[in-house]
Amino acid sequence: MATPKELSDFLIAIERRAFKQTAYAVRDDHAALDIVQDAMMKLAEKYGERPATEFPMLFQRILQNTMRDFWRRQKVRNLWTTLLSSFGSNDGDSEERDPLETIDVEDDADEPSAQLARSQTIQLIERALEKLPARQREAFVLRYWEEMDVAETAKIMGCSDGSVKTHCSRAVHALALELKKQGLDKLGLSNAVFDKK
Amino acid sequence: MNMHKDNMTNTKNINLIDDDVITDPVMEEQIARGISDLLNNRAQHLKPEQEQRLSVARNAAVTYLAEQQAQYSTSNHVAGHSNVLRWFGHAGHSFEQHRVASAALLVAVMLLTFFAVQQFGSTHNLENSDAFLLASDLPPEAYADKGFDAWIESN
Repeated sequence: MATPKELSDFLIAIERRAFKQTAYAVRDDHAALDIVQDAMMKLAEKYGERPATEFPMLFQRILQNTMRDFWRRQKVRNLWTTLLSSFGSNDGDSEERDPLETIDVEDDADEPSAQLARSQTIQLIERALEKLPARQREAFVLRYWEEMDVAETAKIMGCSDGSVKTHCSRAVHALALELKKQGLDKLGLSNAVFDKK
Repeated sequence: MNMHKDNMTNTKNINLIDDDVITDPVMEEQIARGISDLLNNRAQHLKPEQEQRLSVARNAAVTYLAEQQAQYSTSNHVAGHSNVLRWFGHAGHSFEQHRVASAALLVAVMLLTFFAVQQFGSTHNLENSDAFLLASDLPPEAYADKGFDAWIESN
């Protein structure tokens, strides 16, 4: 049985990553915080008596399921919003919404200028990650970011080892090409990189 | 300084992206690790309000577990003195035992009720048939039957 300290240590180690992973998936920081909070509480409530070594797998599973619940709720809410808005008035305020406006871009104005290039690279990666299909992002995050092996990732995702490998490979290709397309060489990093090439 | 070096290496890996290169699984792994390291680095720099919110959530979960374990150890102490209580779910974690005891109790009550109804029903039927025989009018043929008198006497 895990002690409260073991749970606390585990949560301290993963909470930031869990939040960022969720934020990339749901594209809403507040919702991401709610989801991580729910997942933490579910882990304590339902699996508190399990040994601490099982926490990483259990927590990731809970987190992914909580995200799915969020999407289901969003889907229903969006359906109702669409239905209700179709009955609404057609006045000047009802302009079409640009989905790009809803993407929360972090303000890095207070970052030191020396870290600007790196910060821009990370932002590009974050946006590329957000654009990935959900299953590819999930596979990439679990396999590479959470450093789980293929079998563990497959277990959490509820699919075969082969599917995990395919999702991961496609995710890396998509991320790499997206970054290349965005032109990393234009971000002031080209000298260090292309001189080597 | 080391972190900066690592990030530069990661950025190099990302920039070595080429359709030919990325078919190599080793390079694919390197690119993925490079991206993960950059993301990891990013995740360490959250806004203060986000850090605060995560801290509150973590404390709530840890407090819940601590309370549960304290409650469990108290229940175990009580249950140690009286195992009978555990069978009725007193220890909190003996939910299965509680269910078994409740089910057994329910079955016992049902069986008792069944036998009581059976017993009462059969007695009641006998009384009813006796009362019917005594209260009913005999048909005239019965008086003409010689065997009837003998039967009445014998009963």
